[in-house]
Amino acid sequence: MCGIVGFFAKDGEQAEVGTTILAMLRALGCRGPDSAGVALFGTPDDGRFVVRVKLGDRGDLESRARQIAGRLETIHGCSQFSTAASYARFLASSETDLNLVTSAIESLDKDFEVVSIGHRLEIVKQTGSPDNLEKTYGVSHFTGTHGIGHTRLSTESRVDLSHSQPFWSHGFPDLAIVHNGHITNYHQLRRRYEQRGVRFYTENDSEVVAVYLSEQLKKGSSLQEALERMLRDLDGSYSCLAATERQLGFVKDDFALKPLVMTETDEFVAVATEEIAIRAALPGSYSVREAQVREVRVWQR
Amino acid sequence: MAEIVCGARTTREINAEIRRAIAAGEREIVVKDPGARHNLGVAVLEPVRIRFAGSVGYYCAGLIDGPRVEIDQSAGWGLAESMMNGEVVVRGSAGNGAAAAIRGGTVVIHGDAAARLGVSMKGGTVLVAGSCGYMAGFMGQKGRLVVCGDAGDAFADSLYETVCFVGGAIQGLGTDAVVEEPSNEDADWLDSILAKYLPAAARRGRDFKKVVAGRKLWNFDKREWKVWQEAL
Repeated sequence: MCGIVGFFAKDGEQAEVGTTILAMLRALGCRGPDSAGVALFGTPDDGRFVVRVKLGDRGDLESRARQIAGRLETIHGCSQFSTAASYARFLASSETDLNLVTSAIESLDKDFEVVSIGHRLEIVKQTGSPDNLEKTYGVSHFTGTHGIGHTRLSTESRVDLSHSQPFWSHGFPDLAIVHNGHITNYHQLRRRYEQRGVRFYTENDSEVVAVYLSEQLKKGSSLQEALERMLRDLDGSYSCLAATERQLGFVKDDFALKPLVMTETDEFVAVATEEIAIRAALPGSYSVREAQVREVRVWQR
Repeated sequence: MAEIVCGARTTREINAEIRRAIAAGEREIVVKDPGARHNLGVAVLEPVRIRFAGSVGYYCAGLIDGPRVEIDQSAGWGLAESMMNGEVVVRGSAGNGAAAAIRGGTVVIHGDAAARLGVSMKGGTVLVAGSCGYMAGFMGQKGRLVVCGDAGDAFADSLYETVCFVGGAIQGLGTDAVVEEPSNEDADWLDSILAKYLPAAARRGRDFKKVVAGRKLWNFDKREWKVWQEAL
C-alpha cells in the first residue's frame, strides 16, 4: 500500500502547499497508518541553505541544537537556528560543502541525522498519521511552490522517523522522493553503491531511489532522463514522485503495478495514488486520469 | 427520482441508501458529490439507472446484474469488475483493470483506459473512445473489446475467444495475437454499436483492425517447446 501525493503550483511563490499536501495525505491516511511525511518547497532565504536535522529524543533539544550551531559556525557561517519537536532547522551559507556539513553534524552524536538540505526544500516526517504531523509541526501554514507527501504502510523495514518518507538524497540539494512499491533489486544496487562509498541511512528499499536519482543528476542528467533511466535500472513495482528546487516529476513502473493518477490545469498539477486525495484537496472542475505504464512526466517552473 | 448526497457519509451508508431507494421503487437515482470514493454502486441487481455526478474510486459498479450506471467524470481501478449484465458508461477516463472478467453487458469509456483493460473477459462488450494502456484484453475468453484510439503494448496477449478491434495504432501485439481484416459482419456490428454508444467516435467499422488469438497457446504440445519458451 502506501500513499503518495504531489502538488505543483504553476505560478507564484506563496501557494498554500502545506494545506493542499496535508489534505491530500489525510485522504490517503488509511493506505499508510505507520508514518506520514512531507517535502515542501518554500521561498529561498537569501540563497542560503536550509539544513534540517533530526535531533533524536534524548535530552534537551535546545542545547543539542546549540551544540550543532556552534560546530557549524566553525565550518562556514551558520547563523540562525530554531527547533520544533524532534527537529532543528539551521540556515547555512550557500557556499557550504553539503557533505562536510552533514558529516560535521552527524559526527557530534549518533542520534543526529541530517534529514534535508536545500535552498527551498524542507522535509518533516514522523511516525503516526497526517493529523499527528499537523499537530506537531503545523505543516498547513507552509506556503511555497510545490511539495510531495507520503503515508507509509511498512512492509520491509522498521517503523521510525528515519525510515519514513520522503527521502532526501544525501549530497544533492533540494532533491526529494516518495515511493509506493518495492524495489526488488534493492540489495544488489545498494551493495554496488556502498562499494563506491555511498552511505545508506536506513534499510528502507525506497532510499535507493533517492540515491539513484542523485547519482544520475550529479552526472548531469536531467530529471526526465534520470526517471526514464530508472525504468531500465530499478526492478520491481513502483510509482515514484521526485521533486527538485523547480521541478516535480513521476515515473510508473514496467508493469503498471502501482496506482498513480494525475491532473493538470492552468494553475496547478496534482498527482496522487488515488483520485480521492485530489478531489479532497482541490475543489473545481478538472479531469483526472491514471498514468500509463512506463509513463514519465516532469513539470518545471 | 431519488437524490443521494454523499457529503460525510461512509461508502456503506451510501450503498445502503441506494438499496433503500431501489427497494422503495425508485428507477432513477442520482448520487451527488461521490468524491472518488471506492466501492460505490456494487452488486446492484435491478434494472435501475444510477448516475454518479462526479468521479468514483475503485471497483465501482462491480458485480452488477442489470442496471445502467453512468459516471460523469473518471473511474478508478476495477470498474465494473465481474459484471453480469447492464451498462456502465464513464464520461472521463478509467483506471487499471476496467471491465476485468466481465461476463456480460456493456462498458463504455469516453476517455482513455489505463493498463489491463478487459482482462479475462468472459463475455460482454467493452468500448473505449480514446486509447487503452498496457496488456488490454489479456487472456480474454469471450466477448468483444473495441478501442477507437491507440492500443498500448502487449495488446490481446494469450487470447482465447475474445475478439478485439482497434481503430488507431497498436503499440505492440501480445503473444499469440494475430491481426485480421474485419469481415463485413464485423464492420456492420461495429457501425451499429458505435452509432448506439459512441456516435462522436465516428470511425467506420471497416477502418478497424481486428485482433484474435493465433490459437498457438491453446493446447500444450511438448514438441512445440520453442513456442512456449517464447510465450513465457
